[in-house]
Amino acid sequence: MKRFALILLALVLVLSTAACGSGANTTDNSASTVASSSTPASETSTAAASGSTLPALTPDKPVTISAWLTSSFAAPAADNKITKLLKDKLGVTINYEIITPDNADQKTGVMLAGGEYPDLVGATDLNGRFITGKALIPLDDYLTADKADLLFEHVRPYWNRLATDAGDGAKHIYIFPNYNRYYGEITGGTNYGASGFWIQKALLADQNYPDLSNMTLEKYFKMIEDYKTKYPTIDGQPTIGYEILASTGREWGMTNPPEYLAGAPNNGGVIVDSNNVATIFANKDIAKRYFQFLNQMNAKGLIDRESFTQTYDQYLAKLATGRVLGMYDQRWDFGNANDALVSQKKDERTWVSTMPTYDGIAPYYADRDVMNINQGFGVSVSCKQPDVVVSFLNTMLSEEWQKILNWGIEGEDYSVGADGKFVRSDAQRQQQKDLVWRSSNLLEAFRDLAPKHQGSYSDGNAFSPDTQPSEFFATLSDYDKNFLTSYGKQTWRDFLNQPPENPVYYPCWNITLPDGSDAQMANTQMTDTALQFLPKAILAAPSDFENIWKQYTDAIAKVNTKAIEDVVNQGIQDRIANWGGSK
Amino acid sequence: MITKTLTSPNNSISLQPKRKGFWGTVISQRELVLMSVPILLYKILFSYVPITGWTMAFQNFKPAIRSVWKQKWVGFDNFVKLFTGINGERFIRDIGNTLAQSFITLVLGYVCAIALALLLNEVKSMGFKRVIQNITYMPHFLSWIIVAGLVSTMLAVPSSGGMVNQVLMTLHIIKEPILFLSNPNYFWGVVAGSNLWKELGWNTIIYLAAMTAINPSLYEAADMDGANRFQKMLYITLPGIKATIVVLLIMSIGWILEAGFEIQYFLGNGLVVEKSEIIDIFVLRYGIQMGNYSLATVAGMFKTVVSIILISGANFISGKLGEEKLI
Repeated sequence: MKRFALILLALVLVLSTAACGSGANTTDNSASTVASSSTPASETSTAAASGSTLPALTPDKPVTISAWLTSSFAAPAADNKITKLLKDKLGVTINYEIITPDNADQKTGVMLAGGEYPDLVGATDLNGRFITGKALIPLDDYLTADKADLLFEHVRPYWNRLATDAGDGAKHIYIFPNYNRYYGEITGGTNYGASGFWIQKALLADQNYPDLSNMTLEKYFKMIEDYKTKYPTIDGQPTIGYEILASTGREWGMTNPPEYLAGAPNNGGVIVDSNNVATIFANKDIAKRYFQFLNQMNAKGLIDRESFTQTYDQYLAKLATGRVLGMYDQRWDFGNANDALVSQKKDERTWVSTMPTYDGIAPYYADRDVMNINQGFGVSVSCKQPDVVVSFLNTMLSEEWQKILNWGIEGEDYSVGADGKFVRSDAQRQQQKDLVWRSSNLLEAFRDLAPKHQGSYSDGNAFSPDTQPSEFFATLSDYDKNFLTSYGKQTWRDFLNQPPENPVYYPCWNITLPDGSDAQMANTQMTDTALQFLPKAILAAPSDFENIWKQYTDAIAKVNTKAIEDVVNQGIQDRIANWGGSK
Repeated sequence: MITKTLTSPNNSISLQPKRKGFWGTVISQRELVLMSVPILLYKILFSYVPITGWTMAFQNFKPAIRSVWKQKWVGFDNFVKLFTGINGERFIRDIGNTLAQSFITLVLGYVCAIALALLLNEVKSMGFKRVIQNITYMPHFLSWIIVAGLVSTMLAVPSSGGMVNQVLMTLHIIKEPILFLSNPNYFWGVVAGSNLWKELGWNTIIYLAAMTAINPSLYEAADMDGANRFQKMLYITLPGIKATIVVLLIMSIGWILEAGFEIQYFLGNGLVVEKSEIIDIFVLRYGIQMGNYSLATVAGMFKTVVSIILISGANFISGKLGEEKLI
C-alpha cells in the first residue's frame, strides 16, 4: 500500500510538471483569444464611424488592448473617468505596462530578446530598436484615405521623414510621432518647454528685475552669488546656488550646455558648422571653458556637491523645495517640480529661463518645435488584430476624442463660451493642479505617447488649455502677472530668442545610431567617460582642474569618436537629400 | 508466524552482500528514481538547455532573426571585443571590483554572523535573545531598492537628511560633512556595510540551528572539567559547527562573482564608477541596454567558467583539510 502510494505520488509529480508546461501555454493563448474572439479579424464589414473600412469599435464588441509605454506619467487610477468613457463608448479596455524613461533601455533589450510584445508599443527610443528588431509591423497598408484616414493625414506631409528602413531595404511607417505635428494655426507660443539656464523668480524680484539680455555665465552666477550671500537659507534650509542634472539617461543636463554657450542650437553631442559638417564638442575648448567655470564656482560654494550622486527623483525633490536658485535643464524635464511648487503656492520659487553665451554671441536656445520621429505608438508583431488597434488609434486622433483627452468633458472640465471658445472656471483650473484628481480624470500616460492634433481644431479652439491664449492668461497667478508686467513681457516664451527656421537636417540628436554598431558603442563610452571625469573636474580644487581635464581628454581620445561623427554626418546628408517629400 | 520468520533460511540474505548491478539498484529503488525524474527534467530544461544559447557568443546575434541557427557566425570576434581595447580595460577593472566587493562582503558577513551566533548562544534570557534575533533579521525582508534608498539618505549631507554626518558632526568627530557616496574609496565599505546590516541576522539562523545539534553532555563534561565560557565556545561550540561553516563557505565561493547587483546599480554614479562598477552592471550597460546580446553572452560564459573553477578548487581544498566535501 505504501509502495503504491509512493508510485502514485511520483506519477502525480511527473504529470503536474507536464501539466504546468502546457498550462502556461493555454493561459497564453486564452489571453490573446479574449481579445480576438470578441472581435474576429474577419469581421470587417461594419464600417467605422469616420467612414473607413477598418473595424468599428462599439461597446457590444469589447476589446482589450495591451499597451507598453515609456512615460514619466503613472497609469491612471482604477476609477478614471476617461477609461470608463472608452469602455462605454468604444468597448476598449487598455491594459497598461509603464516603464520610466531611465529604465526603458534595458526593458527594450529584454523584450527584443524574448520576442513577445503587447499589442501597442509606445516607445521614446531614439535608436529605433523596436523597428530594427522587427518588433513592429509596417503600417503603410492601413495608411490610406479609406482606412485610417486621420492617421494617414497625420503622417502624409512628412512621409519621407517618418519612413524608416528596418534593415530589409524598404522604407515603411512604423511609428506615429507623438509630439509637434501641427494642424491649422499654431496658437499658444505662451509656454516654453525647452532649454535654458533657469533662474528663480524671487531672486530676480529681489534684485529689482535686472536686464536679462546679453547674459553671460559671469553675470548669471553673480546674481546667484549675491542672492545666496544675502539669503543663506530659504525656509530654514541652506540655499543651493546651482544644481546640475547628471542622472542616468539625463546626462545631457551636464554635457549639453557648452553648445548653447557657443551660440549653437540643440544638436545633442555635436555642433554643426555652416557646411553641414558635425563635430563632437565634448573635448573641445567651448566645453573646457564651461566646466572650468563651474569648477571655479564650486570653489565659491555655489554648486550643489550632491548633484552627481542623486537620482532624477532626488533632483526633482530638491528643486521642489524651492531652495535651488538656478540650473540648466529643459522645461519639460523639471515640470513635476514646477507643478509641486505651484500647488504649494510658491510661485516666486519657480524659474524663468535666461540665455547666457560666450563673448556676446547671439543666443540660439529656442528652436522651432521639432517633430518627434521615432517616438510614439507602433503596433507590435504579436498583436492578433492590428486592424482593430489601428482603428482605435485613428479614432483617438479624431477631434472629438482629442478634445476629450486634452480638454476633458464638456460641462465637467470646461464650457463653451458664447463666441465658441472653450473656457474653464476657476474651480476647474484649480482641480487640474491636484495630482490625485489628475490620475482619476486624465489619461496622462496614454496621451503622452498618442498622436496629437496639436495646433488648433477646426472650430478655432487651441489644441489644449495650455495653448489657448485666453486660458494661459486666466491661469496666471497674481505673482506671475506682476512678474511678467515688471519685465514688460506677455508670455514665458518672450524670455527666449526668436527661433529662426530650423535647418533641414535639424536636430541631430534624433539621428539613429544603429544597434550593435561602433558608433553606438562609442556613444555609450563617451557618456561613461563624461560621467566619470566631468563631476571630478567640477568638484576638484581649481589647481587640479587642468590635470583632470587632461585625463578626460586622454580618455576621450581612446574612444572611436570618428564612428559617431561619421554616422551623424551620413544622417545629415541623407536628410538633406530625402526630407521634405510627402505622399 | 514469529517462529517461522526466525527459523527461515532465507533470513541470511541481509548478511551476504550480493551484487545487484546498476539496473538492479535502479529497480530496487524505483520509487526514489521515479520521484527524482521531475527534478531531473527541471534541471535539464532550465539549466542545460539554455546552454545552447552560448552559441550567441560566436555570432553577431540580431533579435530580428529569431532563430539561433540563422545568425551570422563571427568566430571569436566578441571575445576580442570584450577583452581588448577600452572595453577590455573596463571589463578587467570590473572583474577586480566584483572580486574585491564580494570578498570583503563575504569575509565580513561570515565573521560577524558566526560571532553574533556565538554571542546569542551564550545568552541565557530567551526573551532578550528573541528580541535581538528579530531585530537583526528583519532587514533581510526589505528589498534592495528600499535599502539603497535608506543608505543613500543616511549617508547624504545633513540638510538632505544624512543622519550619519549629523551624528559625526554633533560628536565633533568631523567638521565638514563627508560625501560618502562621491568618494570612490568609501564605496566597497558602503557595499559591505549595507550587506552586513541587511543579512547579518538571517545568516546567524543556520549557525544557531547547527549549535542546537551539539550534544549537551559535551558542555556538561566541560563544566565538570572546570572549563569557562570562552573555553567552551572555543573547544565545543566552534568545532561543533565547523562542518556547517565549511559547507556554507564552499557554496559561497561558487557565488563569488555575484557581488549582488542592485546596490551597485542604485548607489553607483560617475564619481565612484572606477570602484563601483561590477561585471553585471557592465553586461547590462554594454550588453542588454545596447542590444549587444553576444557581448553579454561572452561575459556570462566567462563568469560561469570562473565560478566552476573556484568552486571545484574550494571543494578540493576542503577535502584535503579533512572536512566534508560538497560534491
